[in-house]
Amino acid sequence: MARRFALKRRATLRKGIAVSIKKRYVLLFVLPALILYVTFVIYPFIFSFILSFYKWPGAGAKTFVGLQNFKDILFGSFGNEFRNAFMHNIYYFILVTIFELGLGFLLAIFLVSIVKGKRFFQMMVYLPNIISMILVGFIWSMMLNPQIGLVNQFLRHVGLGALAQPWLGDPNLALNTIIAVNVWRNLGFYVLVFTASLLDIPRELLEAAYIDGASNFKVITKILFPLTIPTFQTLSILLFIWTFNVFDIVYALEGAQAGPFRSTDVLGTLFYRTAFGGLGSSRADFGLGAAVAVLIFLVVMPLSLVYAYVVDRRSRNA
Amino acid sequence: MLKVGKWGKTIIYSVLTVYVVIIATPFAMIFVNSFKSLRDIFLNPFSLPSTLNVQNYVEAWKSANLFNAYVNSFLVSTLSVGGILIMSSMLAYVISRYDFPFRRTIYLFIIVGLALPARLAIIPIYVMLNDLNLLDTRTGLIVVYIATGISFATFLMKRFMDGIPAEIEESARIDGASPWTIFLKIALPLTRPAMIVVGLVNFVGIWNDFFFPLIIINSENKETVPLAISIFFGEFSNKWQLISAALSLSVLPIMVIFFLLSKYFIAGMTEGAIK
Repeated sequence: MARRFALKRRATLRKGIAVSIKKRYVLLFVLPALILYVTFVIYPFIFSFILSFYKWPGAGAKTFVGLQNFKDILFGSFGNEFRNAFMHNIYYFILVTIFELGLGFLLAIFLVSIVKGKRFFQMMVYLPNIISMILVGFIWSMMLNPQIGLVNQFLRHVGLGALAQPWLGDPNLALNTIIAVNVWRNLGFYVLVFTASLLDIPRELLEAAYIDGASNFKVITKILFPLTIPTFQTLSILLFIWTFNVFDIVYALEGAQAGPFRSTDVLGTLFYRTAFGGLGSSRADFGLGAAVAVLIFLVVMPLSLVYAYVVDRRSRNA
Repeated sequence: MLKVGKWGKTIIYSVLTVYVVIIATPFAMIFVNSFKSLRDIFLNPFSLPSTLNVQNYVEAWKSANLFNAYVNSFLVSTLSVGGILIMSSMLAYVISRYDFPFRRTIYLFIIVGLALPARLAIIPIYVMLNDLNLLDTRTGLIVVYIATGISFATFLMKRFMDGIPAEIEESARIDGASPWTIFLKIALPLTRPAMIVVGLVNFVGIWNDFFFPLIIINSENKETVPLAISIFFGEFSNKWQLISAALSLSVLPIMVIFFLLSKYFIAGMTEGAIK
């Protein structure tokens, strides 16, 4: 009895008090969540791996084809489409990182340097983030519409009609337009994360720097920026993972075909077409779709593990 | 934080104001357009509606199947959040407070899910739901949302519970209360702030989700709001006055909730996985 209630101290435990517990209680607390998590998160991932070695239209028998799906995707008939989408993801990641983290950091510095209206700006900045990405896509498809869209109308009104563009219809512009809409929606999130991380910096550091005669520019580059580098790192990892999840915004603005001429195709839309068809997909097959998913997973997984590691380490140090 | 002079302040406030205008314009546009006639939208893009066409709302509400969609979105989001909160708080509690075999392994195993993009596993999920006769059901949707929400919720609540001194539970334990009683009567009430944050973040995430309904739901009477709007947008393309009304109807409620609870939203985000 006494032993069961005895306090155990372990190096692995945070603040060190852990109590032993009867097995049946462990099961009661752990099993519901664990069973659901394993069944609908872990198992499907494993099943995707297995499925990627088969050809399977979704019903009937599966045919084992070995590495054929991967060959098709990487080097074969499907190769160009896959590489095209993959490069778009990389491009998307680079631009989104530059704009969302760069502007996010800058605007956060602005926000922490004012007093009046701070809460109002914080709220407004975060507002687009709570709206569904698909709805944001539809709203912007109106804004960018060649006939009624406010963007072109505005440019014409102020005498910049020459700059009016078919923002979503020009293959050279469409992906950039989508990235801009993405920045419009998500920037506020990064502003607020940077705001929180800036507010963690001890004020005395800044006071001391100012007493030594440092300029604002110096304070930003020598104190604020270096001290928020961990935030930059975590956010870039997340952005990388999230970029390979991009789907809704492309679907809303350009459809599952990721037009014009696949100029906005990303792995998310490619995956959707291969797995669930849709007109114009070169091939629809669950096995092939699973292979696309596995490839995306292999790209994202190393960073996912880094992220899980970083988060775990930080929460133990917290 | 920075020491800024008069000029600095002017620059900061101008930039922030321009940014807020850029954020507000698209919302203002759909709202204004939702009261205009189609002709008005084409001819007078920047003016207020010349006549108040409230019937746009009536028509959009009916043809976009929005009532149904609202009920479905509400049911799915609430039940999913309920499930996530119950299961994750139990798991987080036992990991935070007790010592048992594989405790750390189980925790890490759950944390890995934080960064697993659940969408990539949609094919097996689809196949499984089909085998379980849960395809094209709201139950299927709810089960998937609970399962994919467990990682984040458990992570956040465990971290919160780690911060609550265990001594509070000590006396109850000595009196012989079972872990279940202690969890229900003592631990759970103390984690309320974390529950609110986790619940809100998940509620909005599920309410806004488009991908899973797109794959899982087929029948019109089971559509969630994003799916209903997406189908409406396809069918009524070019009827911009109706689309604007439908978009306003889908955006406004969540905005109201946001303005009322913005404190929790912002806390949820900064207390979240990234800081």
